[in-house]
Amino acid sequence: MTFFLDQLLNGLSLGSLYALIAVGYTVVYGIVQLINFAHGEIFMIGAFGALSTWTLLGWVTGGSTAWWNLPLMLIGGMLVAVLTAVLMERFAYRPLRNAPRLAPLITAIGISIFLQEFVRLFYGQIPGFPDAKAAIPFPQLEFFTGDPVDVGGLLINRGTFFIIAALIVCWAFLWWFVNRTATGRAMQAVSQDPDTSRLMGIDVDRIIVVAFAVGAALAAIAGVANGLRFGNIDFKMGFLAGLKAFTAAVLGGIGNINGAVVGGLTLGLVESMATAFIPGQFGGPAWKDVWAFVLLILILVFRPQGLLGAKVVDRA
Amino acid sequence: MRIPTIFTLEVQKRHHKLGRALAVAGGLVLAASAYLPWAYTDEALDDMSYLGGPSTLQFLGLALGLILALCAAMGWIEPWADARGFAPAVLKISKRVGWTRGTKAAGIGVLAYIGFILLAIALELGGLVTVEWGGWVALIGALLGFTGSKLLTPGRTPGLERLRSAAWVEIVAIALLLLFALLLTAYALNQTDGGTFLAIIVFVATITAVIMRSGLGGWLSRAGQKHRTVLVFSSFTVAFLFPFTQNGSDANMSIATQVLLFAATAVGLNIVVGLAGLLDLGYIAFLGAGAFTAATLSESAFATIDWHPPFIVVMLIAGLISASLGLLIGSPTLRVSGDYLAIVTLAFGEIFRITMNNLDGEDGPDLVHGSSGIPAIPNLNLFGFDFGEVHTVLGIPLGRFSNYFFLMLLLMGLIVLIFTRLNHSRIGRGWVAIREDEKAAEAMGVNVFGLKLLAFAGGAFLAGLAGSVKAHVDQSVTPDQYIFLESAFLLAAVVLGGMGTVMGVILGATLLKLVPEKLRFVNEYRMLLFGLLMVVMMRVRPEGMIPNQRRALEFHSDDEELVEEVEEDLPYEFAEEKS
Repeated sequence: MTFFLDQLLNGLSLGSLYALIAVGYTVVYGIVQLINFAHGEIFMIGAFGALSTWTLLGWVTGGSTAWWNLPLMLIGGMLVAVLTAVLMERFAYRPLRNAPRLAPLITAIGISIFLQEFVRLFYGQIPGFPDAKAAIPFPQLEFFTGDPVDVGGLLINRGTFFIIAALIVCWAFLWWFVNRTATGRAMQAVSQDPDTSRLMGIDVDRIIVVAFAVGAALAAIAGVANGLRFGNIDFKMGFLAGLKAFTAAVLGGIGNINGAVVGGLTLGLVESMATAFIPGQFGGPAWKDVWAFVLLILILVFRPQGLLGAKVVDRA
Repeated sequence: MRIPTIFTLEVQKRHHKLGRALAVAGGLVLAASAYLPWAYTDEALDDMSYLGGPSTLQFLGLALGLILALCAAMGWIEPWADARGFAPAVLKISKRVGWTRGTKAAGIGVLAYIGFILLAIALELGGLVTVEWGGWVALIGALLGFTGSKLLTPGRTPGLERLRSAAWVEIVAIALLLLFALLLTAYALNQTDGGTFLAIIVFVATITAVIMRSGLGGWLSRAGQKHRTVLVFSSFTVAFLFPFTQNGSDANMSIATQVLLFAATAVGLNIVVGLAGLLDLGYIAFLGAGAFTAATLSESAFATIDWHPPFIVVMLIAGLISASLGLLIGSPTLRVSGDYLAIVTLAFGEIFRITMNNLDGEDGPDLVHGSSGIPAIPNLNLFGFDFGEVHTVLGIPLGRFSNYFFLMLLLMGLIVLIFTRLNHSRIGRGWVAIREDEKAAEAMGVNVFGLKLLAFAGGAFLAGLAGSVKAHVDQSVTPDQYIFLESAFLLAAVVLGGMGTVMGVILGATLLKLVPEKLRFVNEYRMLLFGLLMVVMMRVRPEGMIPNQRRALEFHSDDEELVEEVEEDLPYEFAEEKS
């Protein structure tokens, strides 16, 4: 039983990570019908932004790992990630808005490779920053990392708490943002009908930028959570995570925010359960990515609209 | 793509006479400066330090200068000869050439060429003081030519492609062009110096720009279309002759074979991406499937399957396995929106790599020895022809890589043949229809799903064939040769060269493979540059360097001039309806 609960928590924390990234895919897709393939790199950039913030703070605090570093790191990571995403939208995607479908996809791959290589080659060149060609240890902050917490005989990693809490907070924030603010309602309108929204006086370009920014901010949170939970970050981490998160978004129904969360959690659970409970040679961690992608293909065969379906009203 | 203007039209109208004089003078000064020393020592690029003895790069500069002067001077010669009634036949041709446009292209080209060479000298020898006075003369010539060409008014639109010319003239022109390409490639490949190699690339780009802008390119491409068989056969003859220019050295042949392998795979990918418009991001996995199949069925001591059929059979099996994987992935995804295909193929690429890594006896059955892969794959032996041995033909020894080069050339021929035949068939027109508007195509009775699946599985089949040869060329197959970046690299070749064309993709693949090979310092930054290149290409020239006109139209639907051009080129069955 303990083993099962362990796996359940594992799956939930992994799933929360996927969900936070998947929201970015889904929000952008809901508004411009574009798979922002480079979103995984935004997750990576967010983590590096947080690491940079901590490194810069370290010049003043002498490398303190006190808990109050975390909010500053989150803000730093979010700023860098949002800035990257907005620039990317402005200079790469916006000129291609009416181009054939293939053009933005190829651009996205180009951006993805460019960002990865950019971090790999130049991050370590900044004086005082660690070399990014190999994995970099992420600062282990007090309180958020360290010994697992004992909850009724169940040892729970502290990072797990942080990730799940982050997902719940972000989900609540998103709900409020999309349903209760003017900008959120404008997002819903644009996702339903961009042309009519423009006639109603909505600045569609601004809404698209907002969509990219919201997705990037959440991805940055995921990047920090990932660093706290697993202890390392590297320039390649966005590729696989982005792919998984996209799977999660499709699983839940792309364009649907609740779907992204449900899809992320489901994918995380399926992965951890497959690792633990598939017997024989095809179980174990070596195959977990394969099972995740097989799930993606199965979903596309049997339920391309995803678990919750791409409901137009909820699209934003 | 529009080239920005420096001078406004009014300025050009007022000073175009001065501009022409400047351009001619600049070209002549540049040509003359080739006989002067450009650099203090012979260590920069090739030896440019002699007075009176131009080096090869200086000769290329001389040629560029003369071309610039000639193009500009034609603005005087033409009316002069016209007034006196000299050589009316030549004039008739000359009046269709866009000399002014050519001058403008040459003006930019000479400045880029000389600027690059002086920069390279300064960088390699340490500072601008190492540039000899001849170099400054060349720069003055180039600057004069550039300014002069910019002062000219925009010239007439060239109309050479409507010129009727004798068949033999066209065939000779094609043959000469290809021969020139062969010699230049052989020369460029023998350069060990990265700067010299780059200078040659700048030279070739300038010449190409002049040819295209002056309208000669239109005439050549029309000639090429008219004599398609001649063009294709002479291209292959030239490629076939290439190993004979290497004097038995296998170093360049190894690069050439890798380039050819890469290009053949890229042309296969172009069927999927360029013709059918399906973005396949896991194409490398199909190549890998072919390579692993060939490796496990080879006579390597590490092969795991104790059945060694002849290579032709292995090739077919490799192709079929790849194609069935393509069917497996394609049949669920091709039904849903096209965007999904990109991601699913990407996921498939990962599945393939991870699975191969896991088939090591620990996490799965021991089929390919996991990450260490299958090494020591023996050379091919087809009909008694041993690919590992050196064969001497006409006194020229041809080594191992030359043998594989010939084999790859055959395979390339096959892939190109399939590509063009498909493109010009009912299937190809179906793909165009799907690409432009899937719903409309379906409504008109095009079998959308079937055609997409055919493109996808067919592309996979060709990749499988190429992979089976690759296993023997590389002599070992490991999973880490088949990562996503390689797929992206292939896609970059297709995007750079031109979606939907054979020549473009071959050019793109050659550049992408050769440049990092010859310029070591680029190697580290190669993926960064290619990522950037893909973004920039999609913005400024999404149809690629050598575009397929139809494809170009899809990207620039508001370009009226292009619409007319494409309509003129419509195949006969449409042309009849139009009239």
